[in-house]
Formats: sequence, structure tokens, C-alpha cells
Amino acid sequence: MPMARTMLRLAALLLPLGWLALAATARADGWELDLDGRLVSSNADPSYTQGGISGVRFDQDQSGLRLGRARFALTESLGELWSVHLDASAWGDHDRIPVGLTEAFLQFRPYPFAGYRLRIKAGAFYPPISLENRESGWESPYTLSYSAIDSWLAIEVRTVGVEAQLDWLGTRQGHDFDLGFTAGAFGWNEGAGGFIAGDGFTLTDRQTPLGGRVGLPNDPVLMNFEPFRQLDGRAGVYGGLEARWLDRVVVRALRYDNRADPTAMDYASNAIAWETTFSAVGARYEDSNGITAIVQGLKGDTTIAPGGYWLDWPFKAEYALLAKTIGRHTLSARYDRFEVDTGVNNGGDGAEIGHALTAAYVFAPDAHWRFTLEWLHVSSNSYEREDAFNLPPFASETLVQLAVRYALGSAVR
Amino acid sequence: MRPPARPRSQTTPSRAFAGLAALLCALATAHSAPVLAATLVITVQTSDGHTLPGAVITAHPLDAPALKPQPVKAVMDQINRAFTPDLLVIPVGSTVTFPNTDSVSHQIYSFSPAKRFQLPLYRGTPYPPVHFDQAGVVTLGCNIHDEMVGYLVVTDAPYYGRTDTKGTWSSEVARGRYRIAIWHPRMREEAADLERELTIGEADHAELTLRLTKSLTPAPLAVRPHSWDY
Repeated sequence: MPMARTMLRLAALLLPLGWLALAATARADGWELDLDGRLVSSNADPSYTQGGISGVRFDQDQSGLRLGRARFALTESLGELWSVHLDASAWGDHDRIPVGLTEAFLQFRPYPFAGYRLRIKAGAFYPPISLENRESGWESPYTLSYSAIDSWLAIEVRTVGVEAQLDWLGTRQGHDFDLGFTAGAFGWNEGAGGFIAGDGFTLTDRQTPLGGRVGLPNDPVLMNFEPFRQLDGRAGVYGGLEARWLDRVVVRALRYDNRADPTAMDYASNAIAWETTFSAVGARYEDSNGITAIVQGLKGDTTIAPGGYWLDWPFKAEYALLAKTIGRHTLSARYDRFEVDTGVNNGGDGAEIGHALTAAYVFAPDAHWRFTLEWLHVSSNSYEREDAFNLPPFASETLVQLAVRYALGSAVR
Repeated sequence: MRPPARPRSQTTPSRAFAGLAALLCALATAHSAPVLAATLVITVQTSDGHTLPGAVITAHPLDAPALKPQPVKAVMDQINRAFTPDLLVIPVGSTVTFPNTDSVSHQIYSFSPAKRFQLPLYRGTPYPPVHFDQAGVVTLGCNIHDEMVGYLVVTDAPYYGRTDTKGTWSSEVARGRYRIAIWHPRMREEAADLERELTIGEADHAELTLRLTKSLTPAPLAVRPHSWDY
């Protein structure tokens, strides 16, 4: 029965997506329709989407056929220099928004001038941090599950605001490198940090849609948590640098501060403003032998002070990824480690430490089909697992997924 | 893939009365220009001694500076998000058409001093050819797809071309003194540092081997992930 219901719900989701796609095909500059189905085998406890605290997306009761993602994206030019980009997805789980927008923004893209180029985005989009999620739909060409860092960004970090990027295009002027400077100002991200303090890090590929809820309404830790909210009227900011050597190396650094007022609270919904700051640095290297290497680190801190009690959770995560592409085959291995400390003086509220290993094989016979086999193993020790869910604090979880993805669209070639 | 860059001496009209035109042309050339009497062979090597195919060679006659190349009509397509061919050598005064065969739109620009221009977002071939009237290297980009890079080498040299798979270019030239210049998109040297003077005197054959002093930058990656804008 649950399976039949899932399929029915899936059909209900896909029909409007398909209709949208057909309607858009006729005139859009670019559109994409992806359907990603999974065969899942897991020994994990329920994840946050099922009311639990597991470190992976699918639990043991979800073994079998699952929807990975159904996605429809559209790019439309508005005149010469403006364009609008919409990315809608369904994940086949319990979000109150069955089909939601993961990104929706307007872009201003004037022509480069005297070696410089300005790009301005307004709307909702990812800040320029990830080095692995570089494909359309903010997906990774290397693995199904994102790193702990990118999973966190997928769950509760989004720029809802404005971002300007100024690039110096050295490679177009006879130099070996380009430089980029990014600055962003945003609101509606005072939830960022709440998930880390509650559930800790996880490795997933589920992206919270705008206006979406993280976890179930009765989640004992997350408590009806919505990351994209504005409670205190303060804008957050970030600033970043990017250096690119030819098309081989990308180095990124970004400092983020949502400048939330940690004492702000919405008493109607019990939502709290999480003051979150972090720094992210990383580098990606690619060569002509099909090797890709990525290292990234993120270190930050989230604070709340409802009713004058200051509670603080420093956190950090790192990963290293190595991938080798031979023709249409890509093999990838990634090591993640992550840690949430706690400033809460009750024995470790929110503390977590863990690491993960991911191995994936991707076969893309053409632009439309992609087959991915991924093995993911997460080991972690979490205070909340015992305190809120009466589970042993230590968990060692393995998720194996076979994904079949079919993509269609004007930009798919 | 190689651009159809030919020395002036080999350019032949191809319309009606081609034979007559060729005859008149040959007669005119015989009276007004120096006699083409020697073969110039240029070989380009990388700094570690390998042959370098695809290097652009230009030969400026120092004794007959008025000798200019005939403008051409060239085409640079955009296929699978790449300029095709990715490099063209064209004489000053030439025009280039930039059709877009892709299903996605492109937006071409250049801010190179030799030619600043832009072609607003398009598919197909909606724009007239672009005129290039100043010598120099024009670097082309797409304002939507950053991985797209193309080059136009606009030259006022009457003899020009690109090295073949053996790293060699040759042409029949008039005897005299020449300034030989090379250029390659991946070379790190300033083009002026690699210029050489060469005199073709009595011999029928003149050869010059030019060796780069610095290693080439790595070739662009052939395969890129499918991305819109991350």
C-alpha cells in the first residue's frame, strides 16, 4: 500500500511537471526535465525526513524502489542582459511542499568590459561555496550523496537576496588565471544553523525547497523547523574570493555571517533566530587524464539566546574527493569528517562527531541516461541520538543506492 | 578543422571566367610584384623539442612593406558549446560570420584591443558578418558559457598560415628580408620576443626552426560537467 500510494503521489507530481515542460519547450531558451529513480538498500535509522536523526537519506524501512528526484528547470532570457532561472524539484518524501523551488533567481549579466565582468543575481540561490555540486540542479557529477558540507548547505543554507560577482578575466587577456570577488546580502536565512545544532551533519542529496520544512512537524529535536525564515529584520552578508588557473584549478574562500539577532524569536511558531557565521575554503584540481581532486573545509559557529540564555555550537567539516573519468565512466571516492561541539552545559546537547566514506561509479552512456552505483558508510557519535531518540549514541550506517536518471531538455545534449 | 588560410599567391578566383581571370591575374602579378622564387619553411618546436602543430606563422616582407594580403570571408561556428574552429587566421579587412548551430543560445563578445564587439544572444545566423580591420589577436568568449574560448589572429602579413601535424608551415615567397612571427594560444612568451628576421638570398629554399623558450600552458579540458551556472 505505501508503495502504491508513493507511485500515485509520484504520478500526481510528474504530470504537472511534464505539462510545464511541454508548455515551456516551445519558447524557452533552456529547459531540463530529469527523473532519478533509486534502488535502495540501507541499514540506517530513519533520517530527518522520516522523523529520525540518521546520517544518510534513506533508512532500512525505505529499502527498495525510491524517487531520487524529479526536477524541472527553466532558463528564460528577458531582453538582452537579463535572464530568469527556475529550478523545481520533488523528492517523494514528507515535505509540506510536494513540488518546491530549490532556486529561483533573476540574473543581470552585462558584457565584459575592459577585462572585467559583473554578474548580479537576485532571488534565491546557493552562495558560491560548493566545488563538487557543479552540474545543473546543483548536483554532483561524482557521487549521489553530497559531502557533509554540501548536504548542510542543501538542507538549510540559501541566499535569499542579492549577490554581485566581479570577475577579472585574465585568461581572455593572455594571462593564465582569472580572479573573482563575490559579495552577497540576504534575509530569510535565520534558520541556518538550527539543523546542525539539532541533528548534526548528514550526507544526503535532498535540497530543502524554498519555504520548505526540515523534518516532520513532530520531530522532537527540529520541532517544525523552517530554515528560510526572517524574524529580526536584519540582513546577512557574505564575501568571497575565487581564483582560477586556466580551467584546471579553482580556489574558493567565503566568509558568511547571517547577522541574526540570537535573542529574536517568533512566539507563535516557537521559531528562533540562529546567529550563524562560517568560513569555507576549498580547491578543485582537474587534469587532462580525467583526474579530479577536491578538498574543502568549513568552520563556523551558531548561537541562540532565547530568553537571555546563550547557547552556542561551534561546528566544522572537511572532505577530500578523488575522481577518475575514463570515457563515459567515472569512479569517485570521498572521505568526510565532521564535528559539532557544544557550549550547552548539560552534558553535550547537540554534540556530534563522525566521519564518512563514499565510493561511487557513474556510467553515462549518453547525455540522457546516467547510471550511478554508490556505497556510503557513515559512522558518528551523537548526543541527540541517545537523548532525544533513545538510540545508542554511536551509529554505523551503510546506504547502497543504484540510481537511474533520465534527462531531457534543450540544454541536454 | 584547420582554417583555410592560404598565401595570396595561391588564391584563385572561382566564379565564371575563372580561367581568363587567372590568366590576367598571373600577368598582372608578374608585372607588379617581385618574382616568387623561393620556398620558405618554418618549423616550430616546443621548449622541450617536440613539434608544435597549429602555431600561427606570419611572414612580413621588410623590403616590400606595401604587399598586403587579400581579405577573406571566413566562418566560425559554435557547435557543442565550442567555437569551431577555435582559431582562425585572417587578413586585415576580412569578415567573419559566427553562426550558432547549438540548440542553446550564445552571446559572443571580445574586449581585445584589435576588435571590441558583441553579438547579442542568438541562435542560428541572425547577424551579418563582423569586419576585422585591425591586426592583432582577438579573443572571443561567450557571456553565457565561460568555457567557450576562440581566437582570431588578424594579420597584415601577405604570407601566413598554421603549422601542420609535423609542426611545419611552408609557402612560396619572393626573395628578400622577412620578419617571421609566431603565435599560439597556449604559448607563454610575448609574441614580440619570438620574432626573427630572415633573409632569402640566392637559395631556392630557406628554412627556420623556432623553438619556444617556455613550456606551453596545458590544453583546455576536453570534457566538462554539464552545468548551467555554478
